[in-house]
Formats: sequence, C-alpha cells, structure tokens
Amino acid sequence: MLKNLKGRVAFIFDEEDFDVDQIVGVKNIKLRDIDEMAAVAMQSYDPDFAKNVQAGDLLVGNVNFGYGHPHYPPLKAMRHLGIAGIVAESFSPGYWRGEVANGFPQVACPGIMEFVDRWDQIEVDWQGGVVRNLTKGAERPFDPLSKGDLDMISAGGLEGFIKNKIQQEKKAQS
Amino acid sequence: MPFTIAEKILARAAGQAGLTAGDDIQVKPDFVHAYDFPGYTDVIFKTMKEEFGIDQIPEPERYAIFIDHMVPAIDPKEELLHAGTREWCADNNVALFERKGIGHQVASEVGYAVPGSFLVHFDGHISQMGAFGMLAVGLRRHLLEAFVRETITFQVPATTRVNLTGKLQPGVMARDVFHHVVRTIGPRSCNFQVLEFGGDGMMNFTIADRQTLCGLAMFTGAITAIVNPDEMTLAYTGPLACLELDPVCSDDDAEFAAVHDIDISDLAPIVVVPPNPSNTEDLTDHLGLEVHTGYLGSCASGRLEDLRAAAQVLKGRKIKEGFALHVIPTSNVIMARAAEEGLITILADAGAFISSSSCDYCFGRIATMSAGQRAVSTGTLNVRGRMGSPDSEIYICNAAAVAAAALEGKIADPRDYFDGPGDTQ
Repeated sequence: MLKNLKGRVAFIFDEEDFDVDQIVGVKNIKLRDIDEMAAVAMQSYDPDFAKNVQAGDLLVGNVNFGYGHPHYPPLKAMRHLGIAGIVAESFSPGYWRGEVANGFPQVACPGIMEFVDRWDQIEVDWQGGVVRNLTKGAERPFDPLSKGDLDMISAGGLEGFIKNKIQQEKKAQS
Repeated sequence: MPFTIAEKILARAAGQAGLTAGDDIQVKPDFVHAYDFPGYTDVIFKTMKEEFGIDQIPEPERYAIFIDHMVPAIDPKEELLHAGTREWCADNNVALFERKGIGHQVASEVGYAVPGSFLVHFDGHISQMGAFGMLAVGLRRHLLEAFVRETITFQVPATTRVNLTGKLQPGVMARDVFHHVVRTIGPRSCNFQVLEFGGDGMMNFTIADRQTLCGLAMFTGAITAIVNPDEMTLAYTGPLACLELDPVCSDDDAEFAAVHDIDISDLAPIVVVPPNPSNTEDLTDHLGLEVHTGYLGSCASGRLEDLRAAAQVLKGRKIKEGFALHVIPTSNVIMARAAEEGLITILADAGAFISSSSCDYCFGRIATMSAGQRAVSTGTLNVRGRMGSPDSEIYICNAAAVAAAALEGKIADPRDYFDGPGDTQ
C-alpha cells in the first residue's frame, strides 16, 4: 500500500506542455554526476531552489507536463534534492511512462493549478483518490491510475513490479 | 458490440474477448523489438540474467534486435556494445538485423508487417508499423517486462479517429499532412490514446506515406497510430508476413474518443518551427530564412517517395555552394531501389552527400551542428540540441522543401519545382 505523499509545494511550473529538460537546461542534459546535475537544476527558475527545498516536498505542473523529448536526469536531480512526487493538471504519456518505471509517484489532478499556491502544504491521498490542500482546507479528486501504473509505483518501480508479478504467478500455480 | 481495431487486436493477443478502452489486461505481444542502445538493451540483457535468472529466452522467434544507432561506430565503447548485442542474439537464437537500415523500416521489409498483430518496442517511432494495420507501441523501459515475462501489463487505450479527405497538391507530402494534423487537433489531443487514420483520402497514400503518417504519432500524445488494412496493405504484407493472422478493422460504429475530419486538398507545405514539435506553421510564412544544412532521412522520411520528390527538385541543378545536404535513405533496400531508378545519380550530381542508412544523423551524433547553424530537416524532432549545439536550430519540413532549401540556401517553396499533379509519384 502506498504511503500518502505529504509535503509543501516547492514549485509550480505554470508553463503548458512543459519540457522537463528545461529543469537542468539542454546543455546540461548529458551530465551524469548527480551532484553536478542537482547543482544546475532550477537555476533559470529559482536560483535559491536547492537551498529552500526539503525532503518530501512536491512539485505542481500544468497540462501535458513532460511534453517534448524527456530525458531522465532532470527528475533524478529533483529527487536528489528531496522532491517526493508531482501533481499536474495532466501528463504527457512518454514522460509519464518513463517516471512510473522509476517508481516516482505522480498524479494528474485537473484543477490543481487554481487550487494551490507555492509553499502550501498538500497531501496526495491514494486511498481517497484526492489531493488535499492542507493549508487552505480543501480537496480535489485526481484521475484514477491504471492498475499497472499504481502497482508499479507501489513496487518502487519496474523491476520490483515485475518481480511481484512473477511471485504472484508462482503462488497461483502452486 | 462494435470495437476499434486496437481493441480487437488486444482482445486477440490477450485471449480475452470483448475488451474495451480502459480495461487493465495481461497481453502477449506477437513481436518484441529493440535496437541496441546503452541504457536499454544492455540493461535489459544484464537484468534478465542477474535479476531474473533467465539464461535463454523462451520463444526467441518473437524477438528481433536491430543495430541501426551508432552505425558505424566512432569509438571502441560503441563497438563493444554492438559486440555484446551480437553475442546475446547468437546465444539466444534471436534474429539480429545489423546495417540493414533503420530498424522500424527494416522490420516492415523482413516480414514483421503483419496486419492484426501486436508489437512492442521501447522506442515510440515504432508506431509507424501501424501503417500495416498492426498495433505497435513504444513502451520505453517497460519493455523489460516483455523480455522476462510472456505477457505485459497494459491498459486498453481509447482511440481518436482522423478521417482524411482529398488529394495532395504537387510538392505537398504525407509529412505535411501529419504536422497539419498536429496543428489541427493539438499536441495533446490523443494523450494515452491510439491515433487512427481513415477516410477516403487514405487510398491516395502509398505504404511509405502511411508509415510517415504513423511514425510521429507521439507528437499528438498518442501511444501509437494505426491505419485499417486495405487491399494495398495486404498486397504488401501478404508475400512477406512471418505470421499468419486475420486482419481486423474498426467497426463503422466503434466508439471513438473523438472523430476529426480533415480535408487535405488545399494543404500547403508546412514547417515545424524550433524548439517544439507542435510549432506547426505554413512554410510560406518563413520563405527566405537562411539555412545552412539539410537532412533528408530518418525513420519518418527518407523513403523512395521522399527521394523521388528531392530528385524532382534537384534534377539538373546544383545545391548552393557551402550548403551541406545530407541524404540518408531509410534502408539499404530503399538505397538499392533509388539507385535502380537513377535517383542516386541525380542527387549526387546535384551535390548531395549521400550516406548508407543510419539513425545517427537524426540526433546529431554525426553531421553535428555548431551554435548558430540552422537546418531544414525531415528528421523526427526539432527540440534544442537534437542535432548538435543547443544553440543550433532545426526547421522540420518535407523532403522536397529540404531539396528546395538546398538549392537556394534559404527556406523555399518546393511547389515551384513541380509542374503539375502526379510529379511526386
């Protein structure tokens, strides 16, 4: 069972069709060292981001978050800085699939952009199917995830998910 | 109950009748394809062995590996990756297609174009196999599941239908149609869905045109694209298909998430302006913009229709001094046909730099651009840094427009080089 995400909104990407490569900048996309990536992350959005972010914080995005030709390093850098998940109006499929395979919790919550301000405390309630704004005392439903995606995020990513499947199959056979 | 072609294919492959959009299923792909690439195939091969204890892949005939990136290798690490791939394929009795061309095209030449089949790959441009009435989906890293289990976890997608009507003007190509579709229905119109092409206009599109239409589905947010098989499809696939399946089509009254009717009779050439694959504009709004290099190739374009169109523009002319025009036919078979037709001679005489098939031009691994350079390209993508420096630019257009720009050193209207209907054929 997934533990609810609970954290502050560390940043709101208000751009539609947001290309996540912009988080580190295209010229840094081939960096492999996680500390180097984290050091350049968010520089063009908020130079003090790394200083202010804390473990468990969440990001909020607009419609079709992840459009373009997404690479993995930007979100790796964000996780390294403590980001625990993303709530967006909607996601671009290629990006969504890639991050689900990484076991990174994300939900599409139509209306989220009007529902939160930066640094609000929010909670993703998996059981209740809602995103709760704890600062403002209100909640909104998020789009249900496919069973596969939910199981994969719960398993911490692709490999764990497949191992669980194989185990279940073995159990069913015996 | 009526069904879409995607629903029917998945129902057959999952062995579960009556599936509809939204159903969570376990489904067995008929084919599992991949090209060797660091972080994908090498990781899959290693993970299979070390994490899942699989020494020998069951049913190797369902699998095929392609070596089309990093061809030819430019550093020993790349050659080592290829060597590892060759060894894995030999050990597992899995078919390997090396240096035959871009895998998504080669797949259609060697028998994997099977109407009604379900194919998975990690790469999204595999959607072009949808041209043959099959469901071909790029799963990214989820492809691992198809290497370690018989079935994959999947959700039956909804379908958006685009009906095309009319016939293109000379100098306007299938490539323009796809980008016009993005412009008309939007870059997220088909998110997580299948983009299905139909309508009376389809009969005017050749097999290659259909591959072009389907290969870029991801830029509408779709997980793949598909064309209902017709006589043209079956005439192509019949003699080659490595698997016998009954072709299926969407029922007339199938439930679509949306239906769009698009008339292409008056469509003018388009250009996709950097740095975003959804920035589709009329090419005529950018006439005269200076460009320094041109790329005619990729899995989306670079087939005979594209080479013929370029030859039509370049025949008896010379490309502008200093302009670098790279022409890379999508496969060796296409290269050979183009040579037979005399197209290679025309392109070489005009001053084109013609190379054997490789994916490497499309992502700037070779013919790399420096800051300030600007390309016209039939490649797949125009995001920053795709073909070299993040400060170079890519204007995507059709093959004839790439050729016209090569002559003039600036964005030019390809229609000026076509006298009348039928010249592109």
